[in-house]
Amino acid sequence: MTEDRHKKAQFETEALVHLDALFGLALRLTGGDAARSEDLVQDAILKAYRAWDDFRLGTNCRAWLMTILRNTFINEFRSQQRRPSAVEFDEVADRSVFAEVAEEDPAGGFFERLIDDEVIAAIDDLPEEFRIPVVLSDLEGLSYQEVSEIMGIPVGTVKSRLFRARKRLQAKLHSFAREMGYVS
Amino acid sequence: MPTDAPMIACEEAVARVYEYLDGELDAEWSERVRYHVEVCRKCYPYFNFERIFLDHVRSQHIAPEHSDRLERRIREALRNEDAASA
Repeated sequence: MTEDRHKKAQFETEALVHLDALFGLALRLTGGDAARSEDLVQDAILKAYRAWDDFRLGTNCRAWLMTILRNTFINEFRSQQRRPSAVEFDEVADRSVFAEVAEEDPAGGFFERLIDDEVIAAIDDLPEEFRIPVVLSDLEGLSYQEVSEIMGIPVGTVKSRLFRARKRLQAKLHSFAREMGYVS
Repeated sequence: MPTDAPMIACEEAVARVYEYLDGELDAEWSERVRYHVEVCRKCYPYFNFERIFLDHVRSQHIAPEHSDRLERRIREALRNEDAASA
């Protein structure tokens, strides 16, 4: 019993302090779905608690928890992905934002004028197949190889999804900047 | 340019823009793209634009505060877990 209490106290000190980071990652993976994110964080925390004896203190607890959460989400994502992906048939033209702004704003000054919430909303709005690589690569800083292993898709597919996701994101941010009058 | 290979075309550089900016190219290709961008009047502003875009996306903070409700829920779940394994 004392050992259990010790385990719980240790878990609370080491793991529960990372709830903000876990919730933040869950929100981005789910596209801003707070209820689904809370479920995801709870699932990940329970898995971590059950495996706590296998976790080596002194190693990076935050990274370990983020991996559990990511894997939990991806497993759920993969089981939903059995049906044909909308993305494969998506013919949205990847218009070049740079070509449109090259004369007026070649250094992309309008990006700086957008606030974090607007960028986050644009990421959340991406279809899941595009959003996940952006979150893992750009927000979490993982390599193509790591994204490929996590998502269970070839590295070449990671590249093309990232390419198309970023072009979409750019187009969305540009449209928004135009609406706001940050760029004409 | 340290390699004897001829300079790559704009299309070859542009096709690798994200791999280059993500640091995902091997040393040889990275150097070929770097050299091209350095001397190409058309590609330099484009690569600069894409770099600014990526830097901006990467600077987003993704750790909003979780709610008290979530923390209560999790502590409750941990108690239930302890009770079940006791």
